[in-house]
Amino acid sequence: MPNLFILVLQVAVVLTACRLTGALFKKLHQPRVVGEMFAGIMLGPSLLGWIAPHFSAYLFPASSLGFLNALSQIGVIVFMFLVGLKINPMELKKESHAAVLASHVSITAPFVLAAFLALYLYPRLSDDSVAFTNFALFMGAAMSITAFPVLARILAERRMLSSRLGTVAIACAAVDDVTGWCILAYIVVLIRAAHSETSIWMTLGGIVVFGLVMVFGVQRLLKGVFLNAYEKWGHLSENRMAFMLLLVLVSSLCTERLGIHLLFGAFLMGAIMPKEDRFVRYVLDRFETITVTLLLPLFFAFTGLRTNIGLVKGHEMWMYCGLIILVATAGKLGGSTLAAWMSGMPFREAAGLGILMNTRGLMELVILNIGLDIKIISPALFSMMVIMALVTTFMTTPILNLICPKELLQGAPDKMITKPVTAPSLAVHETETSVA
Amino acid sequence: MSHANRNFVIAYILLVGLPLLALAGVLKSGRSLNAPFSVDGAWKLDAGAAHASAAPCTDFLSSVSNSPLSISQSGTSLVINLGGKTTTGTLAGKTIKAQFVDANNSNTTDCSGPSLALTATLDPLTEPRTMSGRLSVEGCSSCAPMEFRAVKQPRPAGGATR
Repeated sequence: MPNLFILVLQVAVVLTACRLTGALFKKLHQPRVVGEMFAGIMLGPSLLGWIAPHFSAYLFPASSLGFLNALSQIGVIVFMFLVGLKINPMELKKESHAAVLASHVSITAPFVLAAFLALYLYPRLSDDSVAFTNFALFMGAAMSITAFPVLARILAERRMLSSRLGTVAIACAAVDDVTGWCILAYIVVLIRAAHSETSIWMTLGGIVVFGLVMVFGVQRLLKGVFLNAYEKWGHLSENRMAFMLLLVLVSSLCTERLGIHLLFGAFLMGAIMPKEDRFVRYVLDRFETITVTLLLPLFFAFTGLRTNIGLVKGHEMWMYCGLIILVATAGKLGGSTLAAWMSGMPFREAAGLGILMNTRGLMELVILNIGLDIKIISPALFSMMVIMALVTTFMTTPILNLICPKELLQGAPDKMITKPVTAPSLAVHETETSVA
Repeated sequence: MSHANRNFVIAYILLVGLPLLALAGVLKSGRSLNAPFSVDGAWKLDAGAAHASAAPCTDFLSSVSNSPLSISQSGTSLVINLGGKTTTGTLAGKTIKAQFVDANNSNTTDCSGPSLALTATLDPLTEPRTMSGRLSVEGCSSCAPMEFRAVKQPRPAGGATR
């Protein structure tokens, strides 16, 4: 049984730390989520456990972490559902050449560079229980991910969602995330299948059947049950909201049972939900508050408890960490910028797209936690990658200010890099700023 | 094919197609790489009983030898927990080395609060993996080192698969 006093105390401390640090980072013109990620790390062995080990051991005893993790995973399941909900596949079909090229290069460039880096890191930070191919593919997937929600939030705060840069960035991030998650699913299946009695073909067959049922069967049901009801009454009853949540959980359980991961099911359920703008906004409003303010901070704290920057010690380890940051940035920022520029985008706009794509944020933490769970990355490498996620997310706003200053957005039409496009409604709403 | 489309195709081949070929090459060449032996996880210690029974550190060594041993591995860097004490260690080839220093006892000749040295050699060919080595008390000449053998424990179901 959980020690309720400790559990509630943990939640209170995490909530306070995240809100305070988030507010502080807001003052520094950073998205709140960056501050919350920092707060999580501060509560772990990297700071609190280092300066006050006894208090840290009292507040986060090893026996209590299972309950904290369970709560945080519920939060991440709902979060992934919301991420999927915001991705509108119809928008991806309307991509221009620039968006197609930029999105594909923003995956392949960091992926290939990460694979090259894996050649160097594998003998140094891994061990012989991990196959090189899995290690390299995981590094590639982890480096090519973009924090779709953070990116949307930055664009919304800068009122750039309807701009050409904004629409291309959103489309690219959506493609990146979907691709990244597919690659990650493949790796997880490979690794789990190697230790499972079920053959990999059975697993893959099950996943294909599940995907087809979801896309061609459940998706139609969702329209009738949720969208039609919403359009008829202007709201959804509590029973329907509970049913929606139940579907998310069942989908998560199916993907977990199929050998992928709980989060893929939640993401897929969000992706196949109806995409009518007002309906999406309505569902987001119902789920976001409790997820963002209560459950996600627990995930940051749990990630922070697993992150031990003390493991990155000595100039050699810090050099590895620096290399990871360099390769991640060169691949994502450099690759996207080059591709967009070659597609005819003005250089400044292309560079703006590059820096936006380099935002990793919470999505990176989710992937890294999966990697640590399945033991494909070591604790030291996990800590280095968390630092990389923080640095690349942190650098986005200041560099974007430098490349695309606000005065430029309000400048003469010939200088405008946020030229409105005639594209239809966006997958992400201008007012939507709360999801991490 | 229009000029724009042709440029797009060329750029796509250069920026997407060629890197994918490079990726295939990297994955193929990386298969020949060797990573350090895996020692990550929980180990069951089986200590030898023969050591000086009258030595002042007997109780200490006995308690340690019955404790669980867990290793967290990042390449050749190890974090080792033995009997609630945590320290860092290294893996060089098949040899594991670590030293548990009692921060509360600076007297290195005191056998009652000793620093413990762990040296072990891994046998990577056995399944599950085993290691054999010795635990010795630093600065206490009357304490004989204790030989031990350890067997890697299977991971819990549904957990790690490394």
